[in-house]
Amino acid sequence: MTKPSIKLGPGALVCLDCDIQGDVTIGARSIVHPKARIIADAGPIIIGENNLIEERAEIYNRKIDETPNQTVVIIGNSNLFEVGCYSEALKIGDNNIIESKARLGRETELTNGCVVGAGCSIFNREVLQENLIISGSNCERRVQFDRPQPQSLQLDFLHKMLPNYHYIRKKKERDTQSLKN
Amino acid sequence: MATYVDFDRVQYMADLGVKAPLCRLHFCRHCMKLRSTDCVSHEIDSHYCPHCFENMSPAEAKLKKNKCASCFECPSCFHTLSTRATGAPNPGDDPSRPAGRKVYYMGCGFCRWTTKVAGIPNQTVGSGAWSEKENTNSERINTLMEYFQQLAAIEKQEKDKKKFIRRKSFIPFSEKFGLSSTRKRASINPGLSSLSLKENPKVMDIEPAEASEQIEELSDEFIKNPLKLNEMTTLKQRLATPHFQPNFFSELYPRHKNLLTQRSLRCKECEHNVIKPEFNPCSIKYRIQLVAIYHVPEIRLFSQPNLEIGKETQVILTLLNPFDYAVTVTVHELKEAVFNAELSLPECDLSLPARDETAEFDDCAANQDFQDDPSVVTFRKSNKLGFFIKVTPKPSAAGAKVVIPFQIRYNYRNMTASSALTDPTAYETVSLQQSVFVDLGDLNSTAA
Repeated sequence: MTKPSIKLGPGALVCLDCDIQGDVTIGARSIVHPKARIIADAGPIIIGENNLIEERAEIYNRKIDETPNQTVVIIGNSNLFEVGCYSEALKIGDNNIIESKARLGRETELTNGCVVGAGCSIFNREVLQENLIISGSNCERRVQFDRPQPQSLQLDFLHKMLPNYHYIRKKKERDTQSLKN
Repeated sequence: MATYVDFDRVQYMADLGVKAPLCRLHFCRHCMKLRSTDCVSHEIDSHYCPHCFENMSPAEAKLKKNKCASCFECPSCFHTLSTRATGAPNPGDDPSRPAGRKVYYMGCGFCRWTTKVAGIPNQTVGSGAWSEKENTNSERINTLMEYFQQLAAIEKQEKDKKKFIRRKSFIPFSEKFGLSSTRKRASINPGLSSLSLKENPKVMDIEPAEASEQIEELSDEFIKNPLKLNEMTTLKQRLATPHFQPNFFSELYPRHKNLLTQRSLRCKECEHNVIKPEFNPCSIKYRIQLVAIYHVPEIRLFSQPNLEIGKETQVILTLLNPFDYAVTVTVHELKEAVFNAELSLPECDLSLPARDETAEFDDCAANQDFQDDPSVVTFRKSNKLGFFIKVTPKPSAAGAKVVIPFQIRYNYRNMTASSALTDPTAYETVSLQQSVFVDLGDLNSTAA
């Protein structure tokens, strides 16, 4: 396992009570709730701006024996990882929503504006087209004509509220980490 | 075990030989018999919307086609749609005007379908005023309905006529009571002309449907364009709106929510109510609720026995007293039943104290003095006891489930209406018996 190195962008809010392992970069104004897990086993995880990662959401960069090379997980901007979701996907674009208990496989790639509905599992090797909505017990698919709204209000609210009730990962740590690198 | 998950294991005999678990049965207090759901008549009390709980009479519901006027459901996933507010964009010609006004649209919280997808314009008021999609065939349907209503009326008239003629042939009414003059008057009176025998009723003309020779040609788009499954509706979504049957997601329209019915159940024999809910659909209470589980001692299977052919096994059954008085239950053989195991039933009485709802919160429950035979009663806890029966599966039980039938007899205190008038605590005691069938499951496979 790589040595933990966490880089936080300006205004990123990461609770102390979450499990972050490996090389993880979290972009500006992104929020990571307590008890979230971001595990970078097989290479770095780069998370963009304005993302919201809720409680018990799990984002993995999983090591697989057949691919000894390092892989990078890149997650774009304004994505929402709802409570208890699980993602191994290597590439996630912008404005996506992974709803509660949804599961994303390693081979799946999300473009922009996709919604993976509550409890839906996608493990195929495929690129989900833009604004695709997957929902229901049979993972029925449908294309929406616009992207889901960004969670800007919720983000602002959490930026105010979360530090009142949780220990937040200090900026200092980020600075020392970035100095070392 | 066998209480909440495996409740099918213990079945009681209701009327007409129907066997069902106790929780699915009703107890008619006037016939003193168990009634299954099939042996009671279901009556619709009222129709109500499951979302807004609006209550309406059957006639009103029929008029509204059994749908709620104000609640909608998602045409894509059938979840209830919720109304959402959003700020209206500035009108194009006047950018200086503030966008203070709110507009409303409907959206599905589950699959994120919105009325915007259907191209329905946003509304300025929160509820109502949603435009309906016009059914192109509605005119034709209405004409046909009218036509068939007329036919039905004529049919009914002819039936009445037949009755009249038959009667006339037996008893010469007109001569006996001098009705001929009144009949003559009736034929003159236009208000009673529908009753007249001579007049031929007129039926409106309708155009019969014609099959067309010409079929619309398949457009090239079907061949040229690739099939986009993500934009097609599923069969279930199409058939949910049979009058439109949209092929594409963009053609889906919100559906009115279907009404549910509130029913009361009535015993078919004595016509007394078995179940009668409160009139208000929001209420979960009942005015009359004769569920069997509160009126018949309950038998449960304590644990899965290990059965072998020809080997006597002790099976533990649990007995519960649902009454607020002590009860004594005796277990008897069921003579006429065919079964695949020899039974040795307890011969002594099984007495149970009254049900006490507070007993389970009471740690040091008063020890009841019951002289129990330890070879019959295994344990005792408030209004519950466990007892042994000895089961020896017959060779015919091979490959089948071992089902043991027996009969329980107990005294039931019936509060009759007549006695309750004079003294509310009065009751009459009736001796009742119920046939019970316990499924003990398969034989032990390793023993064979």
